[in-house]
Amino acid sequence: MGGGAAGIGAAGAARQADPGAAVTVFTEYEDVAYSPCGIPYVHGKEIPSFEALFLQTKEAYVKAGIDVCYETRVSSVDTTRREVQVEGRGTVPYDRLILATGFDYADPGVPGGDLGGLYYVKNIRRAMEWDRVLDSVKTAVVVEASPLGLEMITALAHRGITVHVVDPHPWALAELADPDIMRPVEESWAEMGITTHFGTRVEAFLGEGTVRAVRTTAGEIECDLAVICTHKQPNARLAAAAGLALGSTGGLVVDERMATSAAGVFAAGDCTELPHGVNRVPIACLTGSHAYAQGKVAGTNAAGGSRVYQPVYVPWGMVAGTWMVGGASFGETLATALGIPFVMGVADGISRARYYPGVRKVRVKLLAEPAGHRLIGAQMVGGEGIKERADFLGVAVRTGITLEDLATMENVYSPPIGALNEPISVAAQNALASLRR
Amino acid sequence: MRARFSRWLRVNSEHYLLESAQAEMAKRYLGRSVPATERGLVPGLWRHLFVPMYHRLPQRLRQSAIEAMPGSHRRHWSEPPPRPHIPGIQ
Ligand SMILES: Cc1cc2nc3c(=O)[nH]c(=O)nc-3n(C[C@H](O)[C@H](O)[C@H](O)COP(=O)(O)OP(=O)(O)OC[C@H]3O[C@@H](n4cnc5c(N)ncnc54)[C@H](O)[C@@H]3O)c2cc1C
Repeated sequence: MGGGAAGIGAAGAARQADPGAAVTVFTEYEDVAYSPCGIPYVHGKEIPSFEALFLQTKEAYVKAGIDVCYETRVSSVDTTRREVQVEGRGTVPYDRLILATGFDYADPGVPGGDLGGLYYVKNIRRAMEWDRVLDSVKTAVVVEASPLGLEMITALAHRGITVHVVDPHPWALAELADPDIMRPVEESWAEMGITTHFGTRVEAFLGEGTVRAVRTTAGEIECDLAVICTHKQPNARLAAAAGLALGSTGGLVVDERMATSAAGVFAAGDCTELPHGVNRVPIACLTGSHAYAQGKVAGTNAAGGSRVYQPVYVPWGMVAGTWMVGGASFGETLATALGIPFVMGVADGISRARYYPGVRKVRVKLLAEPAGHRLIGAQMVGGEGIKERADFLGVAVRTGITLEDLATMENVYSPPIGALNEPISVAAQNALASLRR
Repeated sequence: MRARFSRWLRVNSEHYLLESAQAEMAKRYLGRSVPATERGLVPGLWRHLFVPMYHRLPQRLRQSAIEAMPGSHRRHWSEPPPRPHIPGIQ
């Protein structure tokens, strides 16, 4: 159930594990195998067309022996009888079921939520329709500077649209990133003409039929469009109704084989919750890359193979304004919120040799446990190389690398791609120096 | 019932612990205090009772409370494989 990254990953892996298996995918949408992650960049005109976002043709699935049922909604699941109810088809039996029903945006829960002109970015067909609407939009409000919010803010500004950001937190991406990391992003937004309203809640969407303004705790903002980028929530409604166990995040409880609490039922992607590798707190609604990898594990096991997933350390990164931000595991804000003790080191370095054209500042912040100095998290802002550093630091946390390891790490120096001093190493050296003081 | 309680606890504790940490970070990095956007008795109880109590609990007790909640962390997850060790090499 589900034709997103998790569902399609699962279908392919199931066929690979057992080429004789009959695999059926049900999706509410018109398409599968497109990258929703690319949608903001088509809106921003960095990518010329939506067609580029399709990764496979519909025929490719027919050839691969996967029966994809488009625009087909599953309305209920019966795990005792091992069957699902499919709208327009009736009862469909299964030997193994994989739930990959994804996420929903949190309901803003204010009056006017049913007006036209409120855009929830997800389905590519709707995105194509909204893209035409964007041609006539002069002013847009982006509700919440979440990861998707960050991408949409920058995209709309690239499109020449006047953008207002309304967010209840004190800075952008405040549920994930630290304020010193986000400051350059917010400054670049100001230079791009984007207006931010932090510490501000949406109270209502106003208009007759279509939104014409957003009423907030800081006053009314006139607009032609509101893009709702509230945080993601697991879509596990059918699973809950079928009696499957959900965790404190509202996501499906799974084990390392992505098996749920019901025999023969697996789950993958944003509808599940996974334990964090550092403190085992379950977290839900991770990223597309997590969803795809989990789908492969679920699909393999459902078809009789054997594969395990592991607790997560969540490397993340994205372009925001004229910067790239990223990190892995905990930042200072999250560690403080959770009461996790840490020592910290910060370095302000550069992305290339200081004389090489295009050099950018890079800020790296490392958090480590006070006793053994093993890394527990990192955050960064800069230009090129943030993604690779985030991936590396995710593995560093996972494998128990210490500040001492990082302070003495070897690094690549080549003027166009890396500076003599690697900021990660300098941040670790600074952390150790501050401990000696 | 237990799942519903743990969801309620998670949503609220996450919200108010994060809000308190954000206020601390805003003071440290932005040099300003952040006024709370929701007022009233219930938010007040979370802010002035739950958050300080949570932070006063010893880390081990906090971790045990988290681990006692229902969720994926209670199912089986293998420990990560040990760091590489080549026989004959220390
Ligand atoms: C605009 C946008 C940008 C993104 N950018 C990034 C990025 O830069 N990097 C990254 O890693 N990830 C990104 N993501 C990925 C995203 O955040 C999720 O992690 C990912 O989409 C989760 O995949 P999924 O398969 O679990 O769920 P979804 O993608 O939510 O797919 C759910 C599927 O379930 C189907 N479904 C649900 N209920 C039913 C039902 N009852 N019957 C039949 N079918 C049903 C839907 O039709 C859909 O096919 C982005 C997503 C969006 C929308």
